Amino acid sequence: MENSIYVRRYSGDCDDFAANKREIYRYAGYGGLKDPNDETIEKLLGEVMDDCKSDLAYRVCYRRMELTRKDGVMQLPFPTDSKNLAKCLEGSREIVIFAATVGLGIDRKIARYRLISPTKALLMQAYGAERVERLCDVFCSEIAKEASEDGLFCTPRYSPGYGDLPLETQKDVFRLLECDVQIGISLNRSLLMTPSKSVTAIFGLREKKLTEHQKKCALCGKTDCMYRDREETEACNENS
Amino acid sequence: MKILDYLKDNIVYLDGGMGTLLHKEGLRPGELPERWNVTHSDIIVRIQKDYFDAGTNVICTNTFGANSLKFDDEELETLIRAAVENAKKARQLSVGKQEKFIALDIGSMGKLLKPFGDFDFEEAVSVYAKTVKIGAACGVDLVYIETMNDSYDTKAALLAAKENCDLPVFVSNAYGEDGKLMTGASPAAMVAMLEGMGADAVGANCSLGPKQLRGVVEEYIEYASVPVLLKPNAGLPRSENGKTVFDVYPEEFSDDMLEYVKMGVRIAGGCCGTTPEHIAAVVEKTKSVEPVPVVPNNRTLISSYTHAVEFGASPILIGERINPTGKKRFKEALRSNDIDYILGEGLTQQEKGAHVLDVNVGLPEIDEVEMLKTVTFELQAIIDLPLQIDTTDVTAMEAALRRYNGKAMINSVNGKEEVMKEIFPLVKKYGGLVVCLTLDEDGIPEKAGKRVEIAEKIIRTAQEYGIEKKNLIFDTLAMTVSADSNAALATLSSLNTIRHKLGCHTSLGVSNISFGLPNREIITSVFFTIAMENGLSAAIMNPNSAEMMKSYYSFRALHAIDDNCTDYIENIGKYIVTAAPAAAVLTADNKQSDEFESPLQRAIVKGLKEQAADLTIELLKTEKPLDIVTAHIIPALDIVGKGFEKKTMYLPQLLMSAEASQCAFERIKQQMASSSDGGVNRGKFVIATVHGDIHDIGKNIVKLILENYGFEVYDLGRDVPPEDVVKAVVEQHAPLVGLSALMTTTVPAMEETIKLLRKEAPWAKVLVGGAVLTQEYADQIGADFYGKDAMATVRYATQVMDSMEQ
Repeated sequence: MENSIYVRRYSGDCDDFAANKREIYRYAGYGGLKDPNDETIEKLLGEVMDDCKSDLAYRVCYRRMELTRKDGVMQLPFPTDSKNLAKCLEGSREIVIFAATVGLGIDRKIARYRLISPTKALLMQAYGAERVERLCDVFCSEIAKEASEDGLFCTPRYSPGYGDLPLETQKDVFRLLECDVQIGISLNRSLLMTPSKSVTAIFGLREKKLTEHQKKCALCGKTDCMYRDREETEACNENS
Repeated sequence: MKILDYLKDNIVYLDGGMGTLLHKEGLRPGELPERWNVTHSDIIVRIQKDYFDAGTNVICTNTFGANSLKFDDEELETLIRAAVENAKKARQLSVGKQEKFIALDIGSMGKLLKPFGDFDFEEAVSVYAKTVKIGAACGVDLVYIETMNDSYDTKAALLAAKENCDLPVFVSNAYGEDGKLMTGASPAAMVAMLEGMGADAVGANCSLGPKQLRGVVEEYIEYASVPVLLKPNAGLPRSENGKTVFDVYPEEFSDDMLEYVKMGVRIAGGCCGTTPEHIAAVVEKTKSVEPVPVVPNNRTLISSYTHAVEFGASPILIGERINPTGKKRFKEALRSNDIDYILGEGLTQQEKGAHVLDVNVGLPEIDEVEMLKTVTFELQAIIDLPLQIDTTDVTAMEAALRRYNGKAMINSVNGKEEVMKEIFPLVKKYGGLVVCLTLDEDGIPEKAGKRVEIAEKIIRTAQEYGIEKKNLIFDTLAMTVSADSNAALATLSSLNTIRHKLGCHTSLGVSNISFGLPNREIITSVFFTIAMENGLSAAIMNPNSAEMMKSYYSFRALHAIDDNCTDYIENIGKYIVTAAPAAAVLTADNKQSDEFESPLQRAIVKGLKEQAADLTIELLKTEKPLDIVTAHIIPALDIVGKGFEKKTMYLPQLLMSAEASQCAFERIKQQMASSSDGGVNRGKFVIATVHGDIHDIGKNIVKLILENYGFEVYDLGRDVPPEDVVKAVVEQHAPLVGLSALMTTTVPAMEETIKLLRKEAPWAKVLVGGAVLTQEYADQIGADFYGKDAMATVRYATQVMDSMEQ
């Protein structure tokens, strides 16, 4: 099985990267509100998006690896006894471990706007969060397309710090992906990533397509979270 | 033969990829390749021998990640020793007849430095120092610092090499497709900084294939005065039938390298994906090429962590506002450690068009060394302009230069022997463009000729220290023309001679000329224009002055520096003052304000900053400051606060209103400054993001809202050790402390801080907040209050203060 770390870079110019304003507003503290209905805020967000465009450097590094089993137990390339992760990867033949970032530029700008306009700093924060999630979506759908040629389908992605997969796993992910050298993400002593708009995750490639694709917020038990997407969770509850 | 002697007349060939070859030999994902120096030394020796056989002059030891973050001291020493031994063995075994050298290879330690990471600059220097010491003791020929994707990290490594060995140092950075380092630096910026610090060769490696690095290579060749190095990847890796292949094969790779060698690259090799075959092909194709001579260029550059600023035809504007001289508010900010105020001065000047910021924070009653270090560091966290470090305190100067990320301007040296003896070694060690004042032990000469003589003496002395003329910029001292009518002429005449006869750049603190005269801006800007005409390269000036900016843009247009007058047309309108129809706006707003009790209330609720400021100014004409606060601002804040709690208003709106009311408060403060009435003060509140945590947006939001509600907030920033929190709380005897943490991993630091507070400051109420916290968590770690958002925090804080009053 191959052994390399691959890097993908994106200009962010294509339609796949179109901003999802509703997501940005959600990250900015609007919950699931469809439209803040506030011209001033909308104008500010427009300015923020223009202003940050040149700061965004979309990069992903990843490994795609075979997932072997010993006595029926998955042999992951790092030690873990996470049941949630095992459940997420159930039935997978391969795994993809990846790290994604939009770069340090936006962190610098956020720090700058702390003094110029805290509102803009907040919107930038939200925009950055939406951007890196979008980057993950684009990357995952690319891999899904490539895997479909081998008759494989993606599982949902799972990150260190979710459920019973400890944040400590970040150390293993960084060792496996050399995120610092490859795409410039650094892990600090408290296991926080810099640039702050970075994501690491693992997903599986399996032969059987997953039928129900539960959304993240609906899965989570923290119902009083300010970022909770209310419409989404309500829709899910109705469906179930 | 020494490597630098060999380099003088020859192309030097480096080796190719190591990591990619080790993976082929079975190195597992995540396994540390440095351990193979001991466990698989036969493989390492074989690969390195193959490189020597292919014609490589310099083998880099297999020590890319050999640092004390990855290995304990004992293992580190063992691995580096083994690595050097392996390279020596390969040299012995090789059949190649060429000159052979061994370079101690140092890669990035992979940690981002402060302010964005959590690694201190000095910590980084000491990590690299350990590796350098061990390697140098093993008998290598040079140090090769490579694949660095951050300029600050690169500086730390180069400083460590310079301070811990006498070996030549080659420095190579990894650029992205945008032609910048991951943290934003351009090749020119890196050249400026690294040459300034004495790197023996500079260049690029890794990341991309040779073709994609064209722009980077061209920029290096254009700016560098030392040999340029290039070690690209064999293109980009891709997967083919389950195998990793790199898509640039030896034939194409060597064609590209041939072209670069002809352009002037003097040190050539390969990085990821390249093999001995790649190197052999490069050697074969380029060995008969006459090396392009390395000619020192005469470019005067300074740099920040993103870009270089070049001194040339277009005058450079150095903002003078970060300086306490004659500024009451600035002095007060220094005394009260109000760094944000100083940063604000920096931001404004950048916005107004300054290219460089002068930084002077000298005040007798403060610790200048600490302050200069802090301000330099904090400015570099948010402003990407190069800085001019301005101090007479040599210790403060060194502390700031050491931490400065880039190549700074140094203000200043002069013709006094003693001063040159102190400053020039710093310039030599840390790099820099040093401002040289044409005065000496006898003071400032009246005559221009004498000032030129001093300049000549400074040039000679600098040369003795190995400092080139291009790194000196002469200030012929603008003196008050109202005190001596010949003052301007002497300054201008010596300036002209130094610029045109001695060929050095020049700078002036232009504002001095008008001291004591009315309407200073006018005469200062005319003096500025005449000085530019006489060859002024840079001015220390006030970019907020419209007159100065008009002169600047006009001069550039008239001197054919501004093509098609583009900059003039784009900018000049900003400096034309038109009477603002403020009154009309205000009346129009009156009509809209039905649902609000007053236009100011409306402006604040709607988050309209300028309007809030203007309306406050209007109101101040008729109402008492405190009445404005209680009748207009507080009710507006209440509307927003309640709206937020009822979820009819959201966080961005809460913040916008806070910004608007802050604007109103500022106007009121200005008015009250004379009447010495401090206004509303609900009490002191110390706030910090806890140790280990670097996310501060939540904390900043809470701070802003608290200030709005009249709290005197002491913001300690982020990543604050428990002792520092306690120190501030004790010093201020603050009744309230707010701690913020984002991650589960930093909650223990919060708990530790609370424990220490309970011991040292038992009176203080501790509020905690942050993404990861919950009521249960807060109870568990012994906090007094869990603030789920900014409003909840304000409500609790107000309640505490109210109960204290009763």
